[in-house]
Amino acid sequence: MSQQTLADKVGVTRQTIFAIEKDKYSPSLEVAFKISNVFKVPLEEVFIYD
Amino acid sequence: MEFSYKEKGLIASLGVTLLIFGWYLYGAFSKLSLNPEPPGFVEIIILVVWVAVLESIIHGFLALKNKSQLEDERDKLIEKISYRYGYWFLSACIWFLMVQILFDARFDHLPVLTTPNGMFHLLLLFFVLAEVTNFVAQLYYYRKGI
Repeated sequence: MSQQTLADKVGVTRQTIFAIEKDKYSPSLEVAFKISNVFKVPLEEVFIYD
Repeated sequence: MEFSYKEKGLIASLGVTLLIFGWYLYGAFSKLSLNPEPPGFVEIIILVVWVAVLESIIHGFLALKNKSQLEDERDKLIEKISYRYGYWFLSACIWFLMVQILFDARFDHLPVLTTPNGMFHLLLLFFVLAEVTNFVAQLYYYRKGI
């Protein structure tokens, strides 16, 4: 899935998806849940707290 | 180096602000001693309209070239934090000016700044610098991450 497709599904910009991937931005809970919903996996499989 | 729509808009706003206000303030401060009266209301309105028109043209041009102009939570967070830096900077400048007014002997070496014209342009300079601080902080957080 492209960054733009994921961004469109979540309702954020492609730059925000890029920033999350590069660990330059920690998304809000709402966006984190939306991303995990897109991939249909639990939140902890997408994000790790460190 | 690739810039996003928001970054290009910020660079444009920064450029226009520095160019128009920089040109105006340079002229004003170099002629400060010749004219003790502040500028007319119309003169300042023309200056602000120039900045607004130029920014609108550049932002309109950028919007035509970019499909996605969505603003999300990251943009809002960066904007909020950067505005805070601008506010701190402006507060520090205003406090500095207040102290100068309270102890007006401090301006002894630059008495031209105590005239209404000097005070007006000093305040305008602080506002412009606070806006520049805000733009630079936003650009920094878009590059560095938040």
